[in-house]
Amino acid sequence: MKEGLVNFKGINGGIYICVKGGEYSTILQELERKLMESLDFFKGAKIIGIKGDSISREEKNELLNIMKYKYELNVIEDSQETFLDKPKVFEGIVEGMTKFIHNTIRSGQVIEYDGNIVIIGDVNPGALIRAKGNIVILGSLKGVAHAGIDGNTNALVAAYDLRPMQLRIGNVIGRRPDENMDIIGLPEVARVYDNEVVIEPYLPRK
Amino acid sequence: MGMGKAIVITSGKGGVGKTTTTANIGTGLAIMGYKVVVVDTDIGLRNLDVVMGLENRIVYDIVDVVEGNCRLKQGLIKDKRFDGLYLLPAAQTKDKTAVNPEQMIELVAKLKEEFDFIIIDSPAGIEQGFKNSIAGADEAYIVTTPEISAVRDADRVIGLLEAHGINNPKLIVNRIRYDMVKRGDMMNVEDIVDILAIDLLGIIPDDEAIVISTNKGEPVVAEEKPLSAKAYRNICNRILGKEVELLNLDNNEGKLSKLLKILFSK
Repeated sequence: MKEGLVNFKGINGGIYICVKGGEYSTILQELERKLMESLDFFKGAKIIGIKGDSISREEKNELLNIMKYKYELNVIEDSQETFLDKPKVFEGIVEGMTKFIHNTIRSGQVIEYDGNIVIIGDVNPGALIRAKGNIVILGSLKGVAHAGIDGNTNALVAAYDLRPMQLRIGNVIGRRPDENMDIIGLPEVARVYDNEVVIEPYLPRK
Repeated sequence: MGMGKAIVITSGKGGVGKTTTTANIGTGLAIMGYKVVVVDTDIGLRNLDVVMGLENRIVYDIVDVVEGNCRLKQGLIKDKRFDGLYLLPAAQTKDKTAVNPEQMIELVAKLKEEFDFIIIDSPAGIEQGFKNSIAGADEAYIVTTPEISAVRDADRVIGLLEAHGINNPKLIVNRIRYDMVKRGDMMNVEDIVDILAIDLLGIIPDDEAIVISTNKGEPVVAEEKPLSAKAYRNICNRILGKEVELLNLDNNEGKLSKLLKILFSK
């Protein structure tokens, strides 16, 4: 089934509505259309909240009120707000929490963070960097980097000198080829395309 | 009181020349007129006494001192060849757990009252023996050879030292063979410094004279001629804060000297 703007998801304790992008008015239209399709089903269910970053808190409350009073659904407000507001996958890879470290990361050291990581320095062989978001290294990466550790394959790893032992993005693993690589001497970025880690210069015209 | 400086010589990997370096730096500084004690923390696998040629004089050892079986003065072996040089040997019949870091801190503090330099020879590895050896140290010198495995271990140890509050360790690259470096068959010093990102204290060439002197139990630094002896003397002078150029062993030397100067001017 193709996922639209508005999806209903069942969890322990009821159903919540997952909103993905779009204008408030189109979301409302979509929501009302879907509710009308199987109103009887929804009347028996517990609606526990709305999840999504594209609409504000007020708009969420308004949608909940529409469901509660216009369609007379069983809406339990704010019951699982904390659960719903906590994203399953770190969503701050475009704009979000970032840890900055100004140091050489050496063999045996592990840097882990629930967000993006920026290393101002080198990451030496035997070191491990784990981030829920992106990893950016203003130096050389020779250790292991794992971006998007909670499964986010949109995360990226970038470095001035990118030659990691192993590189993981989400659940995709890339490793260094056994034969010697040509060092192109340019800053590079690693991303996941078609379930494979692809490394390319991020300033291709230089 | 308590004016001495405690320096731990460590590497992570075994067999890179920690003990030889400890013996030669200790002896070199003593020849230059300082009061020096070299301390062997490799309990169970002691070597420093052999390299120093003092094996047959051991009565008490570091464990006896720490446990109070003897006074500190009784545990120290005076080297008769060099004024002001003493050895505190490791115990051979115990293991690393016979001493703990708190005891080492106390011991080194006592030694600092008596000596200008306390040079601590660390065991290989990163376990209890290593932790003991760095516990009382003010500074650390990392010994490595131009091999990837040794450099990797050095990197790990630098990280551990930082975690223990010993920052800015200095690097000694041992057993460099300039002919091999020139042919591109051996890592060069710039590469090693680049990876480890710490200050370079000195470079010791691979030298037969070291093997001979080690077997005789006479640190090479006391000899006039060998290149390795000069290299160790240069290291001693740099420890004393003098600016000494690297030995001219190679045509490409200018570059290295510049590198050293840059590192030391920081």
